[in-house]
Amino acid sequence: MIRSRRIALVLLLPGLVLLVAGVVIPALTMLLSPPRVSTGEVFDRLGRMLSDPYDLAIIWRTLRIGLTVTGLCLVLGFPTAYLLARSRSRWAGVLLALAIFPLLLSNVVRTYGWLVVLGRNGVVGQTIEGLGLADPAPQLLYTELAVVLGLTQLFLPLAIITCYSAVAQVDANLDEAARGLGAGRMRTLWSVTIPLSMPGIAMAATLVFAGAVTAYTTPYLLGGSRQTMLATQLFRYSGVSLDWAAASATALIMTVLVLVVYSLSTAITRAKAVSR
Amino acid sequence: MKRSSPIAVTLAFLGYVVMIVPILFVVATAFTDGDALTFPPEGLSLRWFEAAISYEPFTRALVSSLQLALISTVLALGIGIPATLAIMRGRLPGKSVVEGLFLSPLILPELVVGLALFQQFMIHLEMDNFRTLLIGHTAILLPYTVRVTGASLALADPALEDAARGLGASAWRSFWTVTLPVLRPGIISAALLSFVTSFNNVPISLLLQSRDFRTLPVTMLDYVQQNYTPIVAAMSTLLLAGTVVLAFAAERILGFARIFGGINR
Repeated sequence: MIRSRRIALVLLLPGLVLLVAGVVIPALTMLLSPPRVSTGEVFDRLGRMLSDPYDLAIIWRTLRIGLTVTGLCLVLGFPTAYLLARSRSRWAGVLLALAIFPLLLSNVVRTYGWLVVLGRNGVVGQTIEGLGLADPAPQLLYTELAVVLGLTQLFLPLAIITCYSAVAQVDANLDEAARGLGAGRMRTLWSVTIPLSMPGIAMAATLVFAGAVTAYTTPYLLGGSRQTMLATQLFRYSGVSLDWAAASATALIMTVLVLVVYSLSTAITRAKAVSR
Repeated sequence: MKRSSPIAVTLAFLGYVVMIVPILFVVATAFTDGDALTFPPEGLSLRWFEAAISYEPFTRALVSSLQLALISTVLALGIGIPATLAIMRGRLPGKSVVEGLFLSPLILPELVVGLALFQQFMIHLEMDNFRTLLIGHTAILLPYTVRVTGASLALADPALEDAARGLGASAWRSFWTVTLPVLRPGIISAALLSFVTSFNNVPISLLLQSRDFRTLPVTMLDYVQQNYTPIVAAMSTLLLAGTVVLAFAAERILGFARIFGGINR
């Protein structure tokens, strides 16, 4: 135990200074009163964005892609995590490592793969043409599908390891007990395993959604200018046109979206914990 | 063990296909002899690897990325470990607020952090971009340090430290001989995660780039947009090889799964 409050504060001080002066204050200033722009102008711009069809389309696309990717990551990630957590095969360790490994690899590298797969001379297009299904093959790159695939690849490892730790904490004997009492495989999954790993599943959904609606590399490379999302739009305002009011308004939408999802997930997890 | 449901196996298989297959195609196209990003590759050669390692913007950016990742990792550990000790072992007022503050860079979108730093430090205070990058990278690494070393520290019994103190050890000695050995795996995991996170970062490095100091992922991203040659595939394959070596080293030192156990807690 560190008994002296003064020592604890000294240990904490460098971090506090860095985070308050380097993140919290700059972020609040950027969101509410960027250079040469008044707070009123930011909110004015925000109001216009929320009623402009072009901007609303970007917001709606970001939400739609975020939700689709979250759904896909859970549908693919939970079964993977479940199988890995319940398997006694020694291959399970290797497969778990294989699912974790992409987290270490650059987003640029992982996303670049889809250019090869979906590009003009890519594998999928050539296969479609080769099989005579369509000639020329339909445009695959710079579509919403490409962005969804790229983001699913990016966030699936996160969904798998988050669900994995949740499932691993659920006593496997409970599954066995439910089966022993006559519940079928689906019934056991729906009424025992999934409810008990719900906090982990909620966490996985939150991390994936927050990551997907703020990711930059993937919509930039795979969506191009046709599939603009909030993140690529934010960069356009801040790195290209230097429109600070629009940048702050876009950043506000993104930040509020992420904060709402985090608080919802915390509230759900807390309510679960209390009701047990 | 009962047979696994075929539906679950199919979904898991699809998941692995989505995660892994695009990466394999990057490697395959890197070895092409042709000038375009086509599959199957036209002939076999190492010319794009040669091109990648002799392309000055890539090599310079690689050095910059390594430099930035190394320094910000050291800074994040130097600032984060004492903070973790204070949060976990100290009697602080408003502990949950402090904890929330240390995790906040994980929740705030990185583009928001990057833009905030760009406006306030590079434009307003006219700070150079390397120093601004160090602030940004160190800040986003702190949550990893605090979580991962915190998870290690949670396994250590504070009573042991008190016992060491009771037996006459100084606070420093008890930290050095009792607490630190327990923290070591956490520190190694935090260092590895921090290094990789900084090295791979795009949003902050993108907004804080300058002509003199650009990181490798930002340089590659920029190149992809202008050219369609396999040089980026070759560079990506080299990065993949480096990452594989790092992963094996991590597995040797600590065990892979243990390193990532701390991420979500």
